[in-house]
Amino acid sequence: MEANYKFTAFILLGLTLVISLIVGLMTRRHDSGGYGIQVRSIGHANIGAAIASNWMSAASFLGIAGVFFVQGYFAFAYVLGWTGGYVLLLVLMGSQIRRFGKYTAPDFVEARYDSPVARAFSAVIAIVISLIYCVAQYKGIGMIFAWMFGIDYTQALVFGTLVVLSYLVIAGALGASRNQQMHYLILIISFVVPLMLIAKKLGYNWLIPQFSYGQALQDLPAKMSSDYLFPWTFGTPYEWIALCFTLMVGTAGLPHVLSRFYTVPNSRDARWGVVWGLFFIGLLYWSAPAYGAFAKSWLARTGTVLDPAAAEAIADIIVIKAAEWVGLHEIFVAILAIGAVLAAISTITGLLVTGAGAIAYDIYYRMINPNANERHLLLVAKGSTLVLAFLILVIAVNPPGLIAQITAVAFALAGNTLFPVFLLGIWWDRANKYGAIAGMMIGTIITFAPILVGHLIPGLRSILPPTSSALIGAPVVILTMIIVSRLTPPPPEHIRRFLVEKVHSP
Amino acid sequence: MQQPEEKTAPNREDLRINFFRPRPGFMRKEVTIIWITLSAWALLTFGIPIHLAINHVDPVETLARVPYLLGVPAYFWFSGQFLILWFIFLCFFFNILIDWLSSSYRRRRS
Repeated sequence: MEANYKFTAFILLGLTLVISLIVGLMTRRHDSGGYGIQVRSIGHANIGAAIASNWMSAASFLGIAGVFFVQGYFAFAYVLGWTGGYVLLLVLMGSQIRRFGKYTAPDFVEARYDSPVARAFSAVIAIVISLIYCVAQYKGIGMIFAWMFGIDYTQALVFGTLVVLSYLVIAGALGASRNQQMHYLILIISFVVPLMLIAKKLGYNWLIPQFSYGQALQDLPAKMSSDYLFPWTFGTPYEWIALCFTLMVGTAGLPHVLSRFYTVPNSRDARWGVVWGLFFIGLLYWSAPAYGAFAKSWLARTGTVLDPAAAEAIADIIVIKAAEWVGLHEIFVAILAIGAVLAAISTITGLLVTGAGAIAYDIYYRMINPNANERHLLLVAKGSTLVLAFLILVIAVNPPGLIAQITAVAFALAGNTLFPVFLLGIWWDRANKYGAIAGMMIGTIITFAPILVGHLIPGLRSILPPTSSALIGAPVVILTMIIVSRLTPPPPEHIRRFLVEKVHSP
Repeated sequence: MQQPEEKTAPNREDLRINFFRPRPGFMRKEVTIIWITLSAWALLTFGIPIHLAINHVDPVETLARVPYLLGVPAYFWFSGQFLILWFIFLCFFFNILIDWLSSSYRRRRS
């Protein structure tokens, strides 16, 4: 047990979390002096770093390398889906959503569709998206803690949950906010520096390992190399395109990505922030497949053979395994592990707070007890955080797939429900509440049918793979919204006027 | 005489927003820019996989026949590295055009 105890990693992790809290406290004090001026002066690159930091979760840090390790070229569907989605978001909705001026997905839905029912529906969807997203993060934390302490995955998961909740409570009690720029810097350095060292250890160009991993793939035994380089070894063209498209529309419909647009002063800053954000996210996504390639290269060199089940079992921590296998100094392995845990913890805390807020405000206050006071609502939010954390823990004990695959289901739900509701809400004045509710209903069914009844209906999972259902789902939902909206009365005039005068005005 | 006119006035006002039938002026030009950007986005993102799906179905033949770049098949480099750059460029290009369009309309308005 002691041999497995990665003491350096544990100490460094504790230190990083404490430093993060201290910087968060300093940021809070600085901001309170003049938030508006502070935001305006930070520039587009800083807004981009904040977008990237908000985006980078265990799925980016651990998941993509894991999928690449198992599926080679097929993993590019994730890389392109999670970067190309920002083009879709920027081009179709960036400015308009910012001009609409509503801070959360349920706020937008109620303001645009004038319906508390549509609002509640979208709030439930946003909570479920957070829940699925968090399951993937929990898996990452569980696997790293299991590696770090040499304990069983379930025990590590429980310990990880306690760490997350403790961090949340301490940060909440101190009122510390996250310094997004520092957070991004820690994540990207902890990801890229060990990668450079791995490339050097293996004798490849270490200055730009993002490009030299191609050589590592060429050096693999012929069959292994061709499996990795050929596009359709691990999935059909339809599966690749459906997954890529789903992740793209999911990105454009993800509530916590859209909310990021409101923390910037105006729509122009939001637009330019995306360019920088995409560049910063790109730095990570250019690098991630290299971990999978170098890990494979080490296995081939040492003649280690992993059967597919064993490969899949370690895929989600292949980033750390690769560093450990090539014999990187333990401090660098520890840095990698900390980066991954930090990415997961920050995503979980953000999503738990948002999810609990949605339960307390959008569900409890708006639908159950409109007379609740602020103290009461805070209590409900705290209770909801605990319930959500426990629920995620229960699901994460038996994770249904790789981190990236679990996350993709959250994107499928966002792409099948919120994306069409946002898209038509902005670009078609005639879209109304009946259309939105019907669309979200159909979108939810399309997302979960392959998961829940896929084994009963032959061929359903081939047409609607659980991770990739939005290629068919999003157009079907858009069509549903159009038909239902056409058959029912138009939305109120003040909403249509607002769209013309505010949302679509330069 | 004035009353019916007041009643019918809001009906005559055009409050239509439709991506496929954009309002004349700013919105029409904005939608044109969106179409150009989206076409460039879709063509390269999905065009290459579609081309590969149609023309390259056999791994041995594919890897022997396709051009190579930086040690990997060109399509591999294209998907893993170039397209991210392409997306950044598209966002940059889109922002430049929208900035130009917005400022020209704001100037006209003032």
